[in-house]
Amino acid sequence: MAVAAERISLRATGRSRRRLRLNRVMEGVAVLAASVALAALGIVVVSVVVRAWPALHVSLFTQTPNLFGGPGGGISSAIVGSALIVAMATGMALPVGVLAAIFMTEFARPRVAAAIQLFLDVLNGVPTIVTGIFVYGLLVIGHLQSAYAGAFALAVVMLPLVARATQEVLLLVPNTLREASLALGVSRWRTVVGVIIPTTLGGILTGTVIAMARAAGETAPLLFTCSIFAPAVSTDVTHALPNIPVLIFTYSEQPDPALHQQAWAAALVLMAFILITSLTARGLLARSRRKLTHG
Amino acid sequence: MGNRSDTISIDVAPVEIAQRRHAPLPENREVVFDVQDLGVRYGATTAVSGVDFDIYRNMITAVIGPSGCGKSTFIRCLNRMNDLVPGAQVDGKILYHGEDLYGSGVDPVEVRRRIGMVFQRPNPFPKSIYDNVAWGPRVLGMRKDLDERVERALRGAALWEEVKDRLKRSALSLSGGQQQRLCIARAIAIEPEVLLLDEPASALDPIATTSIEELMHGLKRDFTLVIVTHNMQQAARVADMTAFFSLEVGEGRRTGVLVEYDATEKIFTNPSDQRTEDYVTGRFG
Amino acid sequence: MRTTFQEELDLLEATLQEEGELVLRALRGSINALEQRDHELASEVIAFDDDVDQRYVAIEEGVQSLLARQTPVATDLRLVLAILHVNLHLERMADYCVTIAKLSQLVPDVEPSPRFVEGFEEMGARCEEMIRVALDSFVKRDLEGAESLVDLDELVDRANRRVVERILELGEAPRMREYGLRMVLVSRALERIGDHAVDIGEQISYLLTGEFREFSDASHSHPRS
Repeated sequence: MAVAAERISLRATGRSRRRLRLNRVMEGVAVLAASVALAALGIVVVSVVVRAWPALHVSLFTQTPNLFGGPGGGISSAIVGSALIVAMATGMALPVGVLAAIFMTEFARPRVAAAIQLFLDVLNGVPTIVTGIFVYGLLVIGHLQSAYAGAFALAVVMLPLVARATQEVLLLVPNTLREASLALGVSRWRTVVGVIIPTTLGGILTGTVIAMARAAGETAPLLFTCSIFAPAVSTDVTHALPNIPVLIFTYSEQPDPALHQQAWAAALVLMAFILITSLTARGLLARSRRKLTHG
Repeated sequence: MGNRSDTISIDVAPVEIAQRRHAPLPENREVVFDVQDLGVRYGATTAVSGVDFDIYRNMITAVIGPSGCGKSTFIRCLNRMNDLVPGAQVDGKILYHGEDLYGSGVDPVEVRRRIGMVFQRPNPFPKSIYDNVAWGPRVLGMRKDLDERVERALRGAALWEEVKDRLKRSALSLSGGQQQRLCIARAIAIEPEVLLLDEPASALDPIATTSIEELMHGLKRDFTLVIVTHNMQQAARVADMTAFFSLEVGEGRRTGVLVEYDATEKIFTNPSDQRTEDYVTGRFG
Repeated sequence: MRTTFQEELDLLEATLQEEGELVLRALRGSINALEQRDHELASEVIAFDDDVDQRYVAIEEGVQSLLARQTPVATDLRLVLAILHVNLHLERMADYCVTIAKLSQLVPDVEPSPRFVEGFEEMGARCEEMIRVALDSFVKRDLEGAESLVDLDELVDRANRRVVERILELGEAPRMREYGLRMVLVSRALERIGDHAVDIGEQISYLLTGEFREFSDASHSHPRS
């Protein structure tokens, strides 16, 4: 027979009651802060969608701008131009960034790695307008504005992002994996190519995609290097190509309300691109993590 | 022989008296490693010093000792894995078949090809079971009859029967014990001469541990094995020879030293050094 | 430090010493019963064997448990093995004491010559000394003491031979022959007790040196002089 225990109270009283109340208050504040952040995003998205709505037609994506303004016409030349420029920038930033990260984590002495790290952090902190001026001075003066100059400027913006993201996933690779390969009598370089990179591919791509999303929206570097109003779709990268950020910038300064609407529509396209790439990046990263932890 | 019913021949088998299994006589064995006055420093701290003994071919040599006595540091000298640790400095000599492992012109990558290693935690590559084993041979140019080589290695590691139907599955889907045997298969696939095992069963459950220990008994026919273990009973069970490392504490420094090296049976029934006695009987510290 | 393990070992050793003390008492009792023809005392000695067996079983179980749970090694392993063997030797000695007590009850009613009484008194005393030396050497981990058991056993053997010679001189009378026969067995039992004491000495030597060795062949072959 169990002996009935003395009745004990499990209700909060006195000091613990105060703690309980404080806990509830802090929880409420945190929820509020999170809601504000969400609301900000919501307002931006809603206002962009509402204002872009009148300009959203299939023609927006298929037609080139009207030479003399007015309603109708599209932004296809800017979409093609942006895609080309971002692709070229990625082509430049990806190998350099990944190799730099590999050098830092796999080969460099700690001090050298720290120095490179600092350099990349500074590069990341440089205002993009400064990057634009720098590339302008380097590639545009004496030549002409061109898509590859713009791509180069964007690559400079992307480089620290790609390198940093790659470095982070490389550091996630357990040392035991490197040891396993090295203990087989495999050289460091083969270890990197055969084990480390395949293992972290998802993570590296994630970093790249995020950097692409960021670069696609950059305006300042392109203003100096690739800001031309050209109505025709072109793929000639030796000349300046129209692109979405510059288009948004120029259209928004025009008096024509139809162009304003198109600017909003272009902004929506940009946002959609960033949203899709971010989601892709998340998917890739999750896959990469899974690969490192279990089957 | 004609069968004649009236003769009954009785075959008397010679009676074999169970002989006490003598401790193996290393004198007759080929020396694989001749460790001479080995010391390892990390910057200003000395991790191990004055280690001096021979490791014999086709034997299992266990290295035991308390935490921090430098047993892992020591075993990592044998295939130059310590090279990967920044600031590690190796003094003394390790002769591998007479050749100084730390001599000039010795390529650590080549050393590691001949002297394989299995680590404390199973560390299969995030690849398929097949690719885990095949990767080493592929990279090292042993592409001929790769399938057979993979099967041989997996059989050698007593894993073949368990994985033969799912070679394409991820190695990470295996259990811990299976992963560790896969790591052993991966190591023996490149046909090293020596297998170093750094606490290979410390992350495994008792059943998986038993399978690894049984496997080691089988492997010593083809390989020379050196195992670091903090589990004394494991050393007693698997090793032919046992080296006991201890910590020498003096002037605020703690240095790993080799205290005693002898046949395992001797170490666990009648050690010569009081420090060994105190450690194996659990009177240490 | 494995305190529990050490305590269990100490307890086993103490029980072993206790068993040894009981054997000494049984030996003294059986010799007295023989000399004084005290059948009641002899019965007591026979019943007393249960006490020895109790210790014997306790030690066997203790050793089994230690081996199963503590996996002793090195000195600990040798100590456990030595305890196991010494335990058996002591139990055998106690059995011989029972044999002597039983024989003392079967002895026909003849007046024994004082020379027999002297002879058994001497053998009994020597055996007692040997058991004491063996037990002390075990406690003190005294190799020299253990080795001295060989010499002590030689004295027991000699006394045994003298007793046997005297028995041969007892004559042809059937009662005398029966008496003689019983006395040979008593003498033999005492001689075996000495041998077991030497065996204990060998276990002590193993405990201390880690080597198995026979002290001498004397404990196994008995040269006729």
